[in-house]
Amino acid sequence: MKTFFLTIWSGYVRLTARWPSIGSIAPFIPLIAAWWIITELQIFPRVFLPGPVDVVRSFGTLVYTGILPEYLQDSMVRLVVGAFWGIVLGIPLGIFIGLSPRAHTVLWPPLLFFQAIGDIAWLPILVIWFGYGLTTMTVIIVYTVIFPVVLNTVLGVRSTSITLHRAALSLGASRARLLWEVVLPGALPNIITGLRNGLGYGWRALIATEIIVGTSGIGFLMFDARRGGSLVEVLLGMIILGILWYIVDAWILAPLERATGQRWGLVTQ
Amino acid sequence: MGVGDAVKNLVIRNLSKTYFDVYAGTQVTAVRDVSLNVPESEFISIVGPSGCGKSTILNMIAGFIPHSSGEILVGGKPVNGPGPDRGVVFQSFALFPWRTVLENVAFGPKMRGVGKVEREKIAHEFLALAKLSEAAGRYPNELSGGMQQRVGVARALANEPDVLLMDEPFASVDAQTRMTLQEELTRIWEAKRPTVIFITHDVAEAVFLANRVVALSKGKVLDEIEVDLPRPRVWDDLHENEQFKSLTARVLQLVRSA
Ligand SMILES: Nc1ncnc2c1ncn2[C@@H]1O[C@H](COP(=O)(O)OP(=O)(O)OP(=O)(O)O)[C@@H](O)[C@H]1O
Ligand SMILES: [Mg+2]
Repeated sequence: MKTFFLTIWSGYVRLTARWPSIGSIAPFIPLIAAWWIITELQIFPRVFLPGPVDVVRSFGTLVYTGILPEYLQDSMVRLVVGAFWGIVLGIPLGIFIGLSPRAHTVLWPPLLFFQAIGDIAWLPILVIWFGYGLTTMTVIIVYTVIFPVVLNTVLGVRSTSITLHRAALSLGASRARLLWEVVLPGALPNIITGLRNGLGYGWRALIATEIIVGTSGIGFLMFDARRGGSLVEVLLGMIILGILWYIVDAWILAPLERATGQRWGLVTQ
Repeated sequence: MGVGDAVKNLVIRNLSKTYFDVYAGTQVTAVRDVSLNVPESEFISIVGPSGCGKSTILNMIAGFIPHSSGEILVGGKPVNGPGPDRGVVFQSFALFPWRTVLENVAFGPKMRGVGKVEREKIAHEFLALAKLSEAAGRYPNELSGGMQQRVGVARALANEPDVLLMDEPFASVDAQTRMTLQEELTRIWEAKRPTVIFITHDVAEAVFLANRVVALSKGKVLDEIEVDLPRPRVWDDLHENEQFKSLTARVLQLVRSA
């Protein structure tokens, strides 16, 4: 009996090694099946817990009417814009603080303080300053992305050995080259980890913000559906959130992290 | 940088270094009044017990830390910060983990503005000298410690420095590998004849490699001993060599007596 299961398991492992996409989809099959069975058995009333078929049908309708693609695009653009500014502002700031002990002494405590305040806690004041709309959402997402990026960049810069700096300088590198050739690559695995965390938090903050102040986007779709009493669309929104983040994280960010840190031996598996 | 007829020598006059210990609030004099004259193409070893100021001297020559008083002249020019005229081989190898072996060795020429084809040619030449040609495309973390340090030596030499500075470069590899590396270093030195300052606390290593051994204790030079053993030097010959034994004994006695 035991060997029977082991045989099946080893077959599965070999299958996913050959087609990794099977490995990312297969674990969800029992989950969907359970959901489907529960809704078919009518344990909960349909309006409280719609089934997979309803959600798929609603997906089709929303794609057909063009609402879903539009909202999806809005959310993704916001995430990309937030990530862009988070990177453009966060990495240089992190490098500066990481390189200068004085800047570190002065800026580190306020950095931790503002990180602790958290994204959503800013919403009430931001709504007063910038109103309901894009500016508020952008500020929130940049704010959320930037802290993990800065903090991890600082960590990466400070963990790069001083002897690597010395090696580069005595091989003729200028201070500017040093930044590009040693400081940045040395901190890169940490920067990507920071980015991965930052985007994860940012994604959640964005949805929350869309629910509260949005006029479009996946978060708004869910909020709007709840107002209309349609749980199908709320569930659809939740599933889309999960799938999107899974794709961004598992297919883009995690491989990037592995490609830098593990290849160079900076991170052990 | 080996330009024209510039003399690739090193002159140190009355060099001292006093650290300020921030935690204890006291001054520590690590190097006092050291004078040293290293002509072009000489190989000198500086040997002494732990804490006697060896690394401090080397770091001042390399320009990593400022000196408190005295003078350091490389090819007649005073030292002011790190520069490519002084190549450094580190105890911890200090290879760039994100660059392949070839790119590590080509790093110095790249900083000088040498084009890709030309600098890779240079790098291949020095990798061959260090018997590492087959490792060119690998990353440092895929190599053994001994191989990594051979890359370190090749990288420093590929930049053709006036002076090569080595701070206990073989201290973190096993005894057998260390002997091989020592033999290879003498071979490379004979081929390229760089000016070398080699730091170690291992008396036998100091004598095996150098033309001259400088014994250091408590930040001061005790004595300098000429080593005129024949080259090429290999351990199989020197183990039983009476001259080698008596030189080693002399240096050891000097270092221990202080
Ligand atoms: N940054 C520093 N601040 C204060 N004191 C220092 C500093 N660096 C070195 N020292 C002191 O200077 C003395 C010489 O140190 P150094 O590192 O040059 O010794 P060393 O001969 O290289 O020893 P080892 O063989 O252990 O490497 C020691 O007493 C050490 O404590
Ligand atoms: Mg030392």
